[in-house]
Amino acid sequence: MVSPGAELASPAQIQRRRLRVRGTSISLLAQVHDQAEADLGFAVDYELLEFPTCQRVAAMEPEGYDVYEQCFHNLDIVWFWGALQPIDINRIEEWNKISDLAKQGGISKYAWRGHGDAPVRKLYVQPGGFLGPKPSRYISMLPTVLNMDSFGYDTRIFGRAERGRSSWSWLLDKRAKGRIALVDEPAIGFFDAALAAEASGELEFADIGNMTIEEINALMALLEDRRRQGYFCGAWRDGDQAAQLVRDRNVAAQSMWSPVYGKLGPELQNFAEAEPAEGYRAWHGGASLSRYLAGAELDMAYEYLNWWLSGFAGAVMARQGYYISNPDRSRAYLTPAEWAYWYDGAPAATDLPGPAGEMVVRAGSRRPGGTYEERASRIAIWNTVMDEYNYAARAWDRFIARVHDSASGDGGTV
Amino acid sequence: MIRSVNPFAQEPRYELVTRVLRTNIQRGTLPEGLVLLEGPIAAVMQTSRGPVQAALRQLLSEGVVRRFDGRGYLVGAEGKDIAPIRRDLGEFNLEIPDDVDDALQTRGTWRHVYDEVEEQVASCQIFGEFRIVETELSDYLGVSRTVARDVLARLQERGLIRKSASSHWIAGPLTARTVREKFELRSIIEPAALRLAAPHIRYADVEDLLDRIDSGAKLSSELLSDALLELCIAQAPNTSLVDMVRSNRLLLTSVNRALTLLGLPNDEATIDQYRTLFDLVARHPIDSASEYLRDHLQIMARRSLARMKIVAVIRETGEFAPYLLPQ
Repeated sequence: MVSPGAELASPAQIQRRRLRVRGTSISLLAQVHDQAEADLGFAVDYELLEFPTCQRVAAMEPEGYDVYEQCFHNLDIVWFWGALQPIDINRIEEWNKISDLAKQGGISKYAWRGHGDAPVRKLYVQPGGFLGPKPSRYISMLPTVLNMDSFGYDTRIFGRAERGRSSWSWLLDKRAKGRIALVDEPAIGFFDAALAAEASGELEFADIGNMTIEEINALMALLEDRRRQGYFCGAWRDGDQAAQLVRDRNVAAQSMWSPVYGKLGPELQNFAEAEPAEGYRAWHGGASLSRYLAGAELDMAYEYLNWWLSGFAGAVMARQGYYISNPDRSRAYLTPAEWAYWYDGAPAATDLPGPAGEMVVRAGSRRPGGTYEERASRIAIWNTVMDEYNYAARAWDRFIARVHDSASGDGGTV
Repeated sequence: MIRSVNPFAQEPRYELVTRVLRTNIQRGTLPEGLVLLEGPIAAVMQTSRGPVQAALRQLLSEGVVRRFDGRGYLVGAEGKDIAPIRRDLGEFNLEIPDDVDDALQTRGTWRHVYDEVEEQVASCQIFGEFRIVETELSDYLGVSRTVARDVLARLQERGLIRKSASSHWIAGPLTARTVREKFELRSIIEPAALRLAAPHIRYADVEDLLDRIDSGAKLSSELLSDALLELCIAQAPNTSLVDMVRSNRLLLTSVNRALTLLGLPNDEATIDQYRTLFDLVARHPIDSASEYLRDHLQIMARRSLARMKIVAVIRETGEFAPYLLPQ
């Protein structure tokens, strides 16, 4: 028997407040996590998943997280599963400082928008629960981190290309045969391959951002033909796997994400980031709210979202080669040398650190592609979930499985 | 609405029996002089004596059988002197065409198995293209090949399967384009049919439905969609147009059901739209309802295309019914 008095005497059980964040390696970095906990005064639990898995469980198990950090293109999946709730921009302090690239679709009124789905086309909640570019008080995802991706290439094979002299066609180039790898994500790697097919002149798509079944079949047939000829040595799902392919498989051309260059040590001497003549494949990340979030937890989530745009996180993102949607706030958290290198395309005045403090940029080197504005003006296509995504994604998965089968035939591990 | 395509399914039984006997006599399976008795024929055809009596009378009037001194009928025309042959009908290997047999003894059998097959065939298509093996299907269902064929005919009617150049039954892949095209057609023909239907709609029925919606009754969007078809659109006096509306909807209905069974969230956001639609039909000039229907269908098309994308996260388990061969 416990007497009423004993109950009163027991110390109050204080449940530590926790915010559960589900996301990918793009933004779920230890440095961000630790600083968020320190600044916000509540626990932040990170659940780090691979892209396709992350998307699936976010859609089907929205009760498993409070905040979802992913890319805009996967809103086509997660939003329409009904897993998320709208974000009220009146509760976002930095809303007015968020870039036009996110809110308008281009860095200026006249900038080319790129094929596929620019994030603005998924940004605003429209009547009927659809997503679209017409401004409204509610948004689907708070725009945060972004980048313009290309591929990396072996300079001993292709030479050190001058600006704009490299081409996506190198991902299907005979010179790299047997040493080509793609990123395994059907809304990302698929477009690297599609850009390569168009750039090489082998295929032409009426709308590369919304391909027909016939066009998808043609692309998959082309890739399968190259696979049979032994062009591909692997496919990767995260940065560590990508770096491993460069090291262990001596990759000559492969899809790349910016942080991977920082993971390459001596290999970087002969492995360069392309500035493709055709332009970049861009993506925009952000943070969304689970539909189940309410009350105090919802308030915590808004605190976390606002914290994301308060500067520190954007600086961490910059050190792995990513931009933030409101760069001015992050400038204070970067040294002038870091800002000049990452945002202004200037030669690095000193060696520069990555997110964890390790040296990732040597003094004197320049960021390929130039300034933020230059890179953002040259977006060929955005990562996109096309109308025929289900068909394309399943065809892509079968292709990648065959790539892994044939690559493992010669003893590879990735 | 599933309608039979077996040409014999609607035929009276006595005509089916007549057909079988006539064919077997003409082919010589039943020899001249054979004594035909109602009982054994009814047993072989698994039917009652009534239809057999009627069939024999019909054959008598056609001059295919004739009366004689004994009980029953003799095979052969009047006027010849033929000795009666009294033998067990079972010895003659009576030939009963599959579809007649099906229509006679298993009327409706396909209905018992159809829904299961439709679900399996509709849902496999999101994973790609499949060949359907007819013999495997009949084994799987434990029915005759005739019944299996009947099921396949209905799937074809719904646009869920097709014949390949090499005459194989093929299902899928289900694409966004198919869904978009079906909706495009819907938004052309349904508003037109609704206009034609206006003078023939029983407005009291529509008012009843509005009352049910307003009283907070839980009505699924599938039910409301059906009500729109039956109470309003299908009242159009142009039956060809109404048939077209119906058959164009079949695939969408099957797909929608399959997606929901696969675990996709049900789309219930459209109930307000149906309410508006029924209100316009019942209380306003039909043009406004017809225009609204066009808008409504465009929204439905966008929702359906969105559903076609999200289905991509459903993982393929590799466990398909044994009659479905991935291509």
